[in-house]
Amino acid sequence: MITTFKKKIFASIIVSQLFLIGCSTHVVVISEHPIALIKVLPYKIGLVLDNSFTDYSFIREKDEEKITISLGKSQSELFNQTFNSMFQGVSEFTVKPVSPIKPIDLYISVVVEDLQLSLPRETSVNVFEIWIKYKLEIFDSKGSSIYEWIISSYGRTQTRFLGSQEKALHQATNAALRDAGVQIVTDFYEIPEILNWINIKKALKNES
Amino acid sequence: MKASSLSEVIVICSFSLGILIVTFISGCSTSTIVDEQKSSSTKLSMDSEEKIVIMGRRHGSSYETEPGFIDCIGNNISRSENLNVLREKNFLDTFYPWFEPRIAPLNLNRMKVVLNNDIIAKKIQTLKIRYIVWVDGSTETTEESGSMTCGMAPSGGCFGFKSWDKTSSYEATIWDLRGLTEKGKIKIDSKGSSYLLGVGPPIPLIAQVQGIACEGVSDRLIGFFNNG
Repeated sequence: MITTFKKKIFASIIVSQLFLIGCSTHVVVISEHPIALIKVLPYKIGLVLDNSFTDYSFIREKDEEKITISLGKSQSELFNQTFNSMFQGVSEFTVKPVSPIKPIDLYISVVVEDLQLSLPRETSVNVFEIWIKYKLEIFDSKGSSIYEWIISSYGRTQTRFLGSQEKALHQATNAALRDAGVQIVTDFYEIPEILNWINIKKALKNES
Repeated sequence: MKASSLSEVIVICSFSLGILIVTFISGCSTSTIVDEQKSSSTKLSMDSEEKIVIMGRRHGSSYETEPGFIDCIGNNISRSENLNVLREKNFLDTFYPWFEPRIAPLNLNRMKVVLNNDIIAKKIQTLKIRYIVWVDGSTETTEESGSMTCGMAPSGGCFGFKSWDKTSSYEATIWDLRGLTEKGKIKIDSKGSSYLLGVGPPIPLIAQVQGIACEGVSDRLIGFFNNG
């Protein structure tokens, strides 16, 4: 009698677990980010990415469906690659150093402010969409804030016949990461505070 | 049942099946309209080392040109005429971020601004990229009807009927990077109906709408060039 009861409980656990697995999507974003085709500036950057950024996972539970997108590793690689393309050298830190470290000219700390997604069944269009909002705080070598920069990147992919949701979300996230790189490369030198900082650096170099 | 009535049933069934097959085959056909516009009657010339890039437009809010469609055109062109095609992904990665959807040049004036950047212009020269073909459009399902139910039993099988219409609409524009001029346009519209018949195992009769559009654009593009 007890054995039968145990068997029933065991079976019900297995069945419920199967249902839970069936209603969950886990995407681990893996991507190779290209080197940006841009003139390299002769400055050294301290890129501050803490553990919440490097291990970042987005989780959404809605309508009994759980979607997890792990993009910490990929987004860390993106920011490293992008700033490496733009500057002479990049050193990575998990926290911003309290006292200045000699060769570093700028510190850039990045955090994920928000991530949103929409699925084709939630909208009228047959696309998977991802929005990622990053906050970049830029400090000079002494640690004084120069600029706080918000970047909203967007990526999407169309639904494919018999294509999986995981694959579509992976592609959309990759597109959003690429878009974040586009904005960093093209807009960084448009920021007046950054231009001003570069001009001061140039003037100091000419004086010496 | 009498032998005569049984043979009558078989004849009727065979006849019905025949009509059904003929209907499906004729229904699966697609209609395609191709228009082209050339800036001159002479064929486009290019050196044996010069390259063409086929690129998809992805700046629209509700659609994006499928990378698979771009690959299809690229494969057809490089196979058919030995024209050198640089893959879209390679081009996008090499010139990152200047041709990404957010900032890709939408017209020749914008392309001129992009080429004013020495690093980009030098790279274009080094890789000997002569032509960029921008393809804009998508394939969409315009109408769906019917339903099908498939059993989970070991015997399996599906029952029902489903049909859908697909429309492919694309426009390809050729830019010559030497002199920054537009050399021509190709416009293609292709439509077709597909069916799925479920009487036991599902029988798909799929109209290759996008494939036909790809062939159409590729053939016309090849016609623009005079390799060698």
